[in-house]
Amino acid sequence: MQLSSRTYDADNIAAVQELYHSNGWTDGLPIVPPTADAVQACLDWAMMPPDQLIGIEPVRGLSLTAEKLAINAVMAGCLPMHFPVVLTAWTAMMQDDFLMHGATASTGGCAVLVVLNGPIRLELGASGGFNALGNSDRATAVIGRAIRLCLINLMDVRPGAIDRSTLGHPGKFSYCVAEDEEDTTWLSLAEQRGIPKEASAVTVMAAGAPRQIMNEWTTKPEEILETFAAEMRANLRHYSIHPGNYALIIPKQLREHLQAAKWSKTDIANFIHDRARIHRREWAEVGKGAVVRDRGDSVYSAMESPDQLLVVAAGGPAGGFGAIIPPWLGNKSHAVTMAIGACVDCEPPKK
Amino acid sequence: MTFRVLDPTPEKAPPAGQLAPRLATLEGKTIGFISNGKEGTKGFFAHLDRVLREEHGVAKVVMRTKSNYSAPADAHIVAEIRNWDAVISGIGD
Repeated sequence: MQLSSRTYDADNIAAVQELYHSNGWTDGLPIVPPTADAVQACLDWAMMPPDQLIGIEPVRGLSLTAEKLAINAVMAGCLPMHFPVVLTAWTAMMQDDFLMHGATASTGGCAVLVVLNGPIRLELGASGGFNALGNSDRATAVIGRAIRLCLINLMDVRPGAIDRSTLGHPGKFSYCVAEDEEDTTWLSLAEQRGIPKEASAVTVMAAGAPRQIMNEWTTKPEEILETFAAEMRANLRHYSIHPGNYALIIPKQLREHLQAAKWSKTDIANFIHDRARIHRREWAEVGKGAVVRDRGDSVYSAMESPDQLLVVAAGGPAGGFGAIIPPWLGNKSHAVTMAIGACVDCEPPKK
Repeated sequence: MTFRVLDPTPEKAPPAGQLAPRLATLEGKTIGFISNGKEGTKGFFAHLDRVLREEHGVAKVVMRTKSNYSAPADAHIVAEIRNWDAVISGIGD
């Protein structure tokens, strides 16, 4: 089957860049020219015909085809091997639970955090080590960027158009992390969420910017995790008391103390759920007294239940750091985990 | 070196909604408000309610608020629309 997108001819690479920038088709950075060959290679890798329907956006009825996703993935710098991750992340984002329109249009300005699990991380060279939440490697950089370019070009999530973010955050360029599954005794995030260990998977979460913590002065799990919980309480006080999915990013130095004490991810989630909560009256301490009203004694927990905590092992080997990643706005959007290429008897499309 | 490159946008417009027939007058009509429930909607819709009744002779204003301000209106609100002559859907940021 032939690609059906309109084509444009440009004289040189500079003309390609100006064509895409002037049409509002970029995130402001240069793009890789999406030629038919490059786009077709992505589709071939994923064994998908160009008109494969990935989903229909529920609010405006926008249809999403594999061809259009592939064009944007190429623009972001994706190689064919990265494309199945982008496809799966988008399939996950189209689930009702994710509430894509709300999460991407909101003044709250969240980004889509993508967490990679399973063997595909190693095949792609996706690193959960040094600089895990930054520019750690090519794969996570281009996959995260592809998510944003697809939002811009396929859903019109442009600043001032559908994207009404007041501030946004740097994760809106790219926000993808691979879990460090080799250097941990914990179950992976995907396993915690029901995906078999042998499968690769993507988790998407409508996420605020990371809030970094530091505690290198203890080896006790309760003390380490109290620092994470305190940062979550700060988010409850300063941002929003809506409960929902939070992510905890735990690098190796702190992780080793927790693992030495035999704390599992479930133990961590139970502890955090118990500690990450505030009284409504605390809002008066941070300038929000007007909304305390007569409910000062009400208690608000960061999560409805411990399983809303997404614990991710990632980060460089040294440093007593960690991060919490807060939700866009509590339970309005739920994190979605999906296996990559889960179809076990698919055949390549006939040409 | 020349490049032949592809359009990254949907190209096909989504199914367009159709405008309902315009009202010739607001006199005696029932107007529904669908609010997203944010703080800024309170003053805005209260003012609009008064203007419609006092200056345009609207008979009845029905105020409804979505349960989730980031999601489409609840089904029971959408079902109610048939009872109204016009709808004003507003956000309050």
